[in-house]
Amino acid sequence: MSGSVRSSAGLVWRHQRILWWIFLVNLALAYLGSLPARAVLHSVLDHSLESAKLVTGFDVGAFGALLMQPEVNFDIMAPSLLFSAVVFFFYLLLLDGGIYSVYLEDRKLSRGEFFLSAGLYFWRMFRLALYSLPFFAIAIGVNGGIAVLSGKLSTEAPREALGFWVGIGGRVLFLLMALFVRAWFDLAQARVVFDNERKVLRTVGRSWLLLLRSGGLYLRYLGIALTSMAVFAVGIALWVYVPHHDTIGSFVVLEVVTVFLLATRLWMKATSARWVSLLPLEFVAVSVTEVIEPVAPEAPAETIAEPPTAEGAEPSPQE
Amino acid sequence: MDTCFRRICLIALLALPAMLVAAESAPLSDRVVAYQIEGRYDAKTHTLDATELLTYTNKTGVMLDKFPFHLYLNAFQPKSTWMTESHRAGQRDTSTDGKWEDKHFGSNEVKSLEVVGQGDLTKQIKFISPDDGNRDDRTVFEVPLAKPLAPGESVQFKIHFVAKFPEVVARTGYKRDFLMAGQWFPKVGVFWHGAWNCHQFHASTEFFADFGTFDVKLTLPKGWNVGATGLPTGQKDNGNGTETLSFHAEDVHDFAWTADPTTKVVEDSITLRGHTVKIRMLMQPGHMDSAPRYMSALKGTMRKFDEWIGEYPYPQITVVDPPHGGGGAGGMEYPTLITADTSWWMPKALLEPELVTEHEFGHQYWYGMVATNEFENAWMDEGINSYSEAKVMDALYGKTTSTLNSRLATLGERGSYMLEYSGSADRDPLSRPAWLFIDNRSYAGITYGKTALSLLTLESIVGEQQVLHGLHVYFERYKFQHPKPEEFTATMNEAIGQNLDWYWQQAIYGTQVLDDRILRADSQRLDWWEKKDEKKGTTIYHTEVWVHRRGTFDLPVTLEAKFDDGSKLRETWDGRDRWNKFTWDRKAKLVGAEIDPDHGHVLDRNPFNNSFVVKSDGRATGKLAGYWTLLLQWAEQALSWLA
Repeated sequence: MSGSVRSSAGLVWRHQRILWWIFLVNLALAYLGSLPARAVLHSVLDHSLESAKLVTGFDVGAFGALLMQPEVNFDIMAPSLLFSAVVFFFYLLLLDGGIYSVYLEDRKLSRGEFFLSAGLYFWRMFRLALYSLPFFAIAIGVNGGIAVLSGKLSTEAPREALGFWVGIGGRVLFLLMALFVRAWFDLAQARVVFDNERKVLRTVGRSWLLLLRSGGLYLRYLGIALTSMAVFAVGIALWVYVPHHDTIGSFVVLEVVTVFLLATRLWMKATSARWVSLLPLEFVAVSVTEVIEPVAPEAPAETIAEPPTAEGAEPSPQE
Repeated sequence: MDTCFRRICLIALLALPAMLVAAESAPLSDRVVAYQIEGRYDAKTHTLDATELLTYTNKTGVMLDKFPFHLYLNAFQPKSTWMTESHRAGQRDTSTDGKWEDKHFGSNEVKSLEVVGQGDLTKQIKFISPDDGNRDDRTVFEVPLAKPLAPGESVQFKIHFVAKFPEVVARTGYKRDFLMAGQWFPKVGVFWHGAWNCHQFHASTEFFADFGTFDVKLTLPKGWNVGATGLPTGQKDNGNGTETLSFHAEDVHDFAWTADPTTKVVEDSITLRGHTVKIRMLMQPGHMDSAPRYMSALKGTMRKFDEWIGEYPYPQITVVDPPHGGGGAGGMEYPTLITADTSWWMPKALLEPELVTEHEFGHQYWYGMVATNEFENAWMDEGINSYSEAKVMDALYGKTTSTLNSRLATLGERGSYMLEYSGSADRDPLSRPAWLFIDNRSYAGITYGKTALSLLTLESIVGEQQVLHGLHVYFERYKFQHPKPEEFTATMNEAIGQNLDWYWQQAIYGTQVLDDRILRADSQRLDWWEKKDEKKGTTIYHTEVWVHRRGTFDLPVTLEAKFDDGSKLRETWDGRDRWNKFTWDRKAKLVGAEIDPDHGHVLDRNPFNNSFVVKSDGRATGKLAGYWTLLLQWAEQALSWLA
């Protein structure tokens, strides 16, 4: 399994142009979104001695006093947050087709090829995102339900810590569920591109069965998510030790963490792509027993099972 | 004559120990009331069946023909004034979840009331609602006497009552086996300035009562750890799984107690001025790591109060640590007993345990001994205590780190109070009765925040030591009394040696907001028409700094101007107009100007406009905008989890 995860990481590494482009747009959108705040802060802080409390340290009282000023208007700032988040979401949705094409073929696509793929699969990716919503909503609902239960147990259970631990368990369960839904729909996205499948809903169903029958992909996602959390924690721990006045150093450390977060997300997509590309025989089996579809021709399957750029022996997807 | 003098000296010497003993046991207060209460607690139903014998001595100078009593626990009923206000606007600490559940129910039911010598007056009991006319509020009742009580005479009330405790709310009630019994017995009102003062219990009010003595016997399940106001005087095993504990307290105006089978007892003592005070802490087992923090904060606070304000005269102080989920009992003051607040794994950077301990101990002075009317003048206990808290916490934990002290961020008391205050700075005056504030946020911001900031700002006008001296004099003069606001201000004026009525008028009775700012500041060549280049040290510049009183609070302003030759100038303005222009013609350009350069005007709502530096410094903007950018990036990534 670790070999497969490593080869997926290799995909992200070899095609890191994708990562940097996504990061640049992520940063650019956020920067644009921060301009209204920047203008407001500039007018209040740049000529004030009080601002030193926010440079040489982070005085919560000074920050609070800043937020209380009428000039610091959240009405200006909030829409920028929503706007940049929505634009970035559609941007990634648009790129998804191209990203999977690159990862499935493991070669550098020309700009034309990349955006052709992106455009070709955009609508299907959009539908997949829509279909994933109810499942994410279920995960959020379960999380909310457990939070309510946790609160109730905190006040009513004979053991005072029970509610707390149920709350922690609920959050872990939520993360596991959200990760499962993501793995499921990433798999569906990869298969849509791999098969040029137009019947998106059917792909969603098949991916569900496939993910359930073999937990390998989910375990890989879990490993990547844990790695992501660990690196995030280390990054934040490092950031805490950057001197307060070192604004640039602080920014750089946090941006490195941000790049890594994006990279792990792409790592998951690459893992799905790799998984699908190594899975034709299993896919056939699922099709025959569950979906009763014609058996796919073997030749393409073999071709895909041994991609020209594969690094050494790939582990079986069933491991 | 010589022999006679020797005899007198000898007699005086022999009598000295007796005189000292007499002085030690002399009442500290006017002891208007004497309560003797015996109660049996049922841990399953959270009820206390009790009898109360109240002896009231009429020291008012007038005939009393009726007596009002508080039944605070009746506040925890759906139609009470407290519950109605809480439901609509939240309580003084937390917002309500808006749902009524049986566990919220509390009551204080008077089964019978007899006035000794006048018979059973139970049927004469009449619930009154002097504040809002709410007929469903049963937190105050009145009973007329068949025979009025003459000045100097005493009357005894025998009351049989049943107290049912709610799940912890408003600093009283149960949580699992833990019980914090506050405001649990029928308590007589205070005859104050010619009339009975006995307000209903409101969502934003606290309490007011007369000084006296308490002898309380409590029958509880055997083996429970009990803490109470006063000192334990006896313990009797009843042989049926219960035991009866006796307590005695004197020169206090309330009696609270707590019981819990699981708490751990931590004991220590402190000696101040030769007087040893026993410290008793009842800790939750999961909170033991906070015990040293409570202890350290308590001892530090006691030393500072002893040094600045006056002596703590009681023999004991008890600290109660409420359990997880019972935070509603935390952060409360009762005479010689306080409740603290912490949680599992409380980070050291967060000074919540220290802060709450300090604050509640401070109430032993500003509430416990100087027993102001918390209904009508909440600022006199909460506010003055908040000022004391700022002083003590600053001294013990640092001015900018006394609330939060981590590598990431810091927060001091001043910043914390400004956060409370600035959102509702012009809503209510301090002098407003607690239940009449526009909302709880304003109540907290004004009562706690504004009072503390006003007294801290006063330090910048008259000096820190002067304000502390004023409070010391005020404490010594009014301990074990019920002073009014005018008595506080008059004492402060006298002790400080200045008539500060102009200040009190704005700070206490007004809603004026302090916000002075530098409107404009620049330097221009005096010989602006000259075509010669400027020459440092030779060219004369005309510098103007415009100070604008943007707020409504009049306060003298000190301005400091810095010039590029390194020189500094300070000038003052009485602050009586809307603006003032400061001008200088010097061979140096202005680098920056600052109002209140010693940073004493902490009441100023906007510290950012108090200074102007000519050369722009974008580091703070860059830092905060960088964080905002990062937050946006993460928000983008969070949403893109769907893609």
